[in-house]
This record gives sequence, structure tokens and C-alpha cells, in this order.
Amino acid sequence: MTGDDDLACAAALLDLPGMTPVRLARVLDGLGPALAWHAVRAGTHPGDRSRRFAASARDMVPMNVLRRYRAAGVSVLLPDRAGYPTALVGDPGAPAVLTALGDAAVAEGRPAVAVVGTRSATPYGASMAAELGRGLAGSGVVVVSGLALGIDAAAHAGALDAGPGAAAPVAVVGTGLDIVYPKGNRVLWDRVAATGAVLSEAPLGTPALPRVFPARNRIIAALADVVVVVECHGRGGSFHTVEAAARRAVPVCAVPGSVRSPASRGTNGMLVDGCTPVRDLEDVLTALALARGGRAIEPGRGRSGARAPAVDRRLDGLDRAQRAVWDAVDDTPTTVETVLLRTDLAVATVAVAVESLVVRGLLLEGAGWWSRA
Amino acid sequence: MIASIPSAVLHGVDGRPVSVEVHVANGLPGFTVVGLPDAAVRESRDRVRAAFTSSGLPWPRRRVTVNLAPSGIRKGGAGLDLPIAVGVLVASGVLDAAAVAGHAFVGELGLDGSLRGVPGVLVLADALVGHQVVVADVDGPEAALAATCIRTASTLAEVVARCTGRRPWPEVPRCPVEPATDGGSRGPVRDLADVHGQLLARRALEIAAVGGHHLLLVGPPGAGKTLLATRLPGLLPDLDPATARDVARIRSVLPDVGPATGLDVRPPFRAPHHGLSAVAMVGGGNAALRPGEIGLAHGGVLFLDELGEFPTAVLDALRQPLEDGVVRISRSGGSTSCPARFLLVAAMNPCPCGEGGVPGGCRCSPGARARYARRLSGPLLDRFDLALRVDRPASTELLEPPSGESTATVGARVVAARSHARARGVPANVELDAAGLDRTAPLERPAADILARHLRTGRLSARGLHRVRRTARTIADLDDGAPVVTGRHVTEALLLRGSRGLLLGEEKR
Repeated sequence: MTGDDDLACAAALLDLPGMTPVRLARVLDGLGPALAWHAVRAGTHPGDRSRRFAASARDMVPMNVLRRYRAAGVSVLLPDRAGYPTALVGDPGAPAVLTALGDAAVAEGRPAVAVVGTRSATPYGASMAAELGRGLAGSGVVVVSGLALGIDAAAHAGALDAGPGAAAPVAVVGTGLDIVYPKGNRVLWDRVAATGAVLSEAPLGTPALPRVFPARNRIIAALADVVVVVECHGRGGSFHTVEAAARRAVPVCAVPGSVRSPASRGTNGMLVDGCTPVRDLEDVLTALALARGGRAIEPGRGRSGARAPAVDRRLDGLDRAQRAVWDAVDDTPTTVETVLLRTDLAVATVAVAVESLVVRGLLLEGAGWWSRA
Repeated sequence: MIASIPSAVLHGVDGRPVSVEVHVANGLPGFTVVGLPDAAVRESRDRVRAAFTSSGLPWPRRRVTVNLAPSGIRKGGAGLDLPIAVGVLVASGVLDAAAVAGHAFVGELGLDGSLRGVPGVLVLADALVGHQVVVADVDGPEAALAATCIRTASTLAEVVARCTGRRPWPEVPRCPVEPATDGGSRGPVRDLADVHGQLLARRALEIAAVGGHHLLLVGPPGAGKTLLATRLPGLLPDLDPATARDVARIRSVLPDVGPATGLDVRPPFRAPHHGLSAVAMVGGGNAALRPGEIGLAHGGVLFLDELGEFPTAVLDALRQPLEDGVVRISRSGGSTSCPARFLLVAAMNPCPCGEGGVPGGCRCSPGARARYARRLSGPLLDRFDLALRVDRPASTELLEPPSGESTATVGARVVAARSHARARGVPANVELDAAGLDRTAPLERPAADILARHLRTGRLSARGLHRVRRTARTIADLDDGAPVVTGRHVTEALLLRGSRGLLLGEEKR
């Protein structure tokens, strides 16, 4: 089968030691994978590493490489074949070979929004990311993110929680698809792979190297119709996504945060620079409709409406100290010291009030801080 | 002729009695010292001879042999100069043996015959109980703390004159108590009133001072962690006489700490730099087995600033003394133990960049944060009953005049609350054992329920349970000595105990 031959040669090229996405694109440029493989193997392909690649290629059997990928449940995607995300076709930075866990075709024909942000998110940022993820998926929008800690994980988890009929999420990761990074996200990783797809342009076995993450962010930007940054500190990984989106004319939105919160410094700065602010799902859907030429998208199920009254009912029956503590705690982490200053109560009184508020599920307790649940 | 003069040498923070035997016999004139002397003792031959000449005393033109018994242990220090000189005087017949009977001698001789002080004179005098101990007059006040009769002289000639009864021994003043205006570590009193805000930390300092609970302050640079820690010794009550004497003995051994002008009853405060070695921390070193920083902090406060920067080996060496209140130092030359019951106060940043602790606050990678937190072993962190976050006060607070209570106000409450612990037979609640806790800190029903819930959720370990109960007992003591520990006390103790997450900034639900 010549079809498998092409995939096998592509997998073998991807697996060559020292191969990078840029080199791979150059090697495959203008040639089919099979021709490129033979050229590399014969050492006739011009390039900075042709001799070394030829030496490594001599001992490789492309079919065995492909079998190894398939044994790991990983499919190999090529730009001119079914399964390769159409959003990437024609993109200047599109990966020449993409590997996938799950079915990348679930995202085809659906609008996509990238929800990205910092790894050290505040409870506010994490809940906003989860809320947007849930709402977008429920409205039939594919949530694209990077399966990192913090905002990424919260967005994916929210999208997965949107219930049956929702759009499946797509994750783009930097490591090889057999290396779960960070390890703590294994369950989430498996759930995304089971319902949607986990994509990577790295060969199997690629560890979490610093260079793979910025490269992965360009794919996230290329897949998305709109990029939403929920929280980010100054310059960081999220900025690679923002820059890649700007280069592709993909609209970038940002979720505003407290001006005192370091985790919102980057996003608030983006708002000052003219990014569209996002307060809720509707704002994202509006931006998405504009980006897609005015076709409006109805907010679907999974939307968390009418939250405030529910909280107010829960506040019934609080005593004076509990009420004072509740009023003193923000949505962002509030330190014990701040609560003491705001309430003017004794440490023991605050401790008792917090204990009962935590038991009631009104407050989240952290190490030396609290925030509203 | 032969003479045997009692003296003592230092061994850790104890004195070891040594008998200086001098034999003067016919033979070629010479002077040998045997019995494992170290360099300082061997050099005493030259000092003693010169002192004889300068004092106008005749040096025997015969063979002089000095033996330091028991000869199996190594002897160091210059304090054996005086007993050797007196031994030679007796053995050569210048002094009558009866004149020095019942006397022991400790002191270094100058070439001009003057008598100099030696380190550890209090400890050495303590080892010579039952004798009239003759020391240099500069050592008099310190030696007077010992429970034995002290005689002083300023030169070798005076020693001879006073032993023979030609001149009377001067009266040695009993050692006075050092003035109480002294802050810890003989520094100025640092008043708690200087602290702006920091309501939580103030409360924690008060509880630490009452119960002797170890305290960990975590916060960004400039939050006032050091400022707070230096306020703690001022809150502690005066040392009881036995502890004050132990402190004086340890200081006596280390001359660089400063001469004792009297019995210091204020608790010591030691703040070693994080570059120190394990030996400097726990003690040891040469054959004399010097006490370390934790010995010097006995009865007071050991403050470790930038806890994360201390070598792991140094910190883990603290674990056993923290538990036992005494440190055993063993070397090939022998072993000794030194009291080391101190209140440990430590300060550190929550993460390498210093801004972490609250989610979203810092930009350190999770790996870097975990590495930083790993520098502290779990067992060491477990020993902090109080662990709290200290944040920079708001700028508005800094500009206002400080409005908090002063050291005098809080100190009075500490003394009152400590009396409850003393009534239980312990100096502070931190030393209550499990049985003592059951007896003296019965839990009210809601308090037991709260603890049970935290045990179930895994927030509290079995070891942590006892620590929280001790802290709760202390909080109850501050609450007018409530006989039963209530839910309110336990909840506050749990809040102040903090968690390991203080360092990692982990989210916990």
C-alpha cells in the first residue's frame, strides 16, 4: 500500500535524531515523503545534516517506525491527507508531519477558540477558564489549549464537563505523545484523547524541552479562530501564542483581572494595548462571530447562568463574624492578615468563622489565604 | 619531693578534675610535662619558669617532672600554669604542703608573674567543689557563680603570700544579677510597639513566647520577618536561676561571647548566618568539644533567617536537640552533652523569587518551587507548631504611627499565662507529653470533632495532632487559663499551624 508507505516514510523522517520541525519542512518541501526519505537515505538531499541523517537512516525500516507509532495508539497525519486539520493547511508555520492521539477530525467544520494562560493561575483565573471552556464546548465551539497546568488544564476540564453533545476539545502539546507532561495532568490528557484529540509535532519520546513549548503555541494560534488569554504574568508562554495569533490576524481577547493581581498583569496590559475584553461566554461568542464573518453562534447548554442569587441564598443564616469575614474575602486570594485588618476581629474569631464558611463550601482555603468559592 | 595540686580542664561544657603531680628530684636540671598535654600546656614550662624569675622565686636547679593525672585523657588550655607553678613551689620546699591543702588552682601565668583569666572558669570551679579555688582576680566575678569558695590573686607572688598567710585573701563579691534592662543577647530591648500591623504575626509571637512553640515565618523580602523575630526574646520571661546558671556556664566556655559581669537572667538570642557549618551549629570541633550556636541559644531564641539557605545537613542536625533539649557531641576523644533547649524561630521566602505563596503571585516554575521546598525535610517542618505567612504591610499602615501593643504589655500577659504551665510542672507547654496533654488539656466535644474532621481529611497527622493540642493548650492559657480546650482554641491553633503548602503555594480545597 503506497498510502502506508508515505506515512511510514514520514514517521521515519520525523524520528531521525536531530530532526526539527523546520528541518523536516525543508526536507519534505516539494517532495513526497517517500521520495524525501530515499533522498535523505541516499545522502543526496542538500541540507546541513545530510550526512548524519543518511547514516541514521541507513539502519531504519520506515514500516517498523510506523508500526511503533500505531502500537502506541498514535496516528501520523500529513497535510494532503484526510485527518490533518484543515485549519493548518496553508498556514506558513504548519507542521509538515503531525502526530495525533484520538480523532483530530472531530474539530473539522466547527469554530475553534484557544483558551490559554499562565500555569500559576489564581482560583479566579482557573474558574474563569473552566467557565469559558464549559460554555464554549456547550455552544459547539472546539476549545483548543495546551494541556499545561493552570489555565490550560482548567479550560480543558471545563470543556470536558460540558456534557453530551458538546464539542470535543483539542490539545496541542510540546512533548512526544507517549510522554505526559506535566505528569499530574495524565487523567485530563487521557480524557481529551478519548473524546477529542491530542496533537503534537514531536516524535515519540520527546521530553519536555524548553524549546518545544513556544513552537507548540504557534499551532494553537493557527488552529483557533479566536485566542482568549485568561490570566498571564507580564511576558511568558502565553505571549508566544498571542504573537503567533497576531501574525495570523487571529483576534486576541483577554479576561480582565484585579490590577493588584500579578497573575492578571499581562492580560490587563493586553487590554490597555487594545485587545477585546472578555467578561463572559457571550463576549467570546461575539468575537468569534465577528472573526467568522458575522455568523452568530448561539450560546448552548453548559452555561453557568444566574450564579449570584444562588450565592446570596447560601449567605442566609450567617452570624455577624461569619458575615464580616465573608465580606472581607475577595474572589482573589486574600491573606489571613488582610482579613484580620478588614474585620478588626480576634484571630480565634476569624479562625472559627472561616472554619464554618469552609465547611459550608462558601470559602476556599489555601495555605495562608482564602478566597470565595 | 613530690606535690599533688588539684586543678581542672575543660571538656565540652563540663570541667574535668585533673591532679597536677610535680616531682623534683636529683639529676640533670630539666623540666618535662607528661600526661597527654596539648601545645598550650607544653608551652607552660617556659611561662612558669619566666614567672618564677620575675616574681623573685627560686627555680629548683634539679630535675622537675610534671604529670597530669589521669594521664589517659588529653588536657588543653593554659589554665594549668598556676597549679604547675604551685606544685613546683611545694615540691621544691618553698611552700609548705599544708599551706595549700584544700586549695585548687586555675589560671594562666604571664612572663612577668601576673595571673591571667582563662575561659570556662565557672565550669572549672564547678568541677572543683569542696576546694578553695584560687583564680585570677579578673575571673573572680564569674567564678563566684560557682558553688564553692573562690580565692583571687593578681600575681604569682600574691598567691604565695596569701597561701602562707602573710597576707589575707580578699573578699570576693557574690556575683550580681545583670541589670534587667538588658535585651536578649545583651542587645538593646527591641520593642514590639515598633511593628506596624502584622496582627497575625503578633499573635503568633505571643503564643510562641507563652508555650515555647517553634515558629516559622514565611513571606516575601521586606515583609518584616526579621523585625518580628527580634521582638521575641523581649517577650520571654526572665530565666529561672538554674537555666540562667546553665547559660552562664555555656557562655563561660566560649570567651568570644563576652565576659560575664554577672548572672544574665534575660534569655539569649542567637542569629547565626546561614553559612555556618554543622559543627558551629551543634558544637564539637577540637578535643575541647566546644558548644555550638544551639548551646548558646539554650533557654532563649535561635533565629535562623533565610532558612532555605542553610545546608540541609546543618538543619537536620537540629532535629534531635529540638526533641530532647540536649545535644550529645561525640568524637573519637570522648563525648559530652550540652543543654540546648531553645525556641526555634525561622524565616524564609516562599519560593526562589520571594513573591510566591499566594497563587498567581510568583513566576517560579513549579519545579523550582518544589526544589526550594525540598530543602527543608518534612520532619523539620513538622516541628514548627506555628507557621504563618507574613506579608508586607500596606503603605498606608507604614506611614501611620504604630498602634500595636508594646513588649511590656504583651510580656506581662506572657508571664501570667506561663504560670499555668508551671503549675502543670513544665516550664512551657511545648514540653507536655501525650499523657500530660490528656491530663491537662481535655478537649471539649466540638474541639474533638474539629480535630477528628481534620484527621479524616488528612490535613492533620497523628504527630501533628499532639502539636496542635499543645498549641491549643497555650491559647487556652492565654484565655485566662481556661481548664478545658474549646473548639475556638483548637481552630485558632490549626490556623496558626499553617501547612507545608505555605512554601509551595499549593492550592488546597
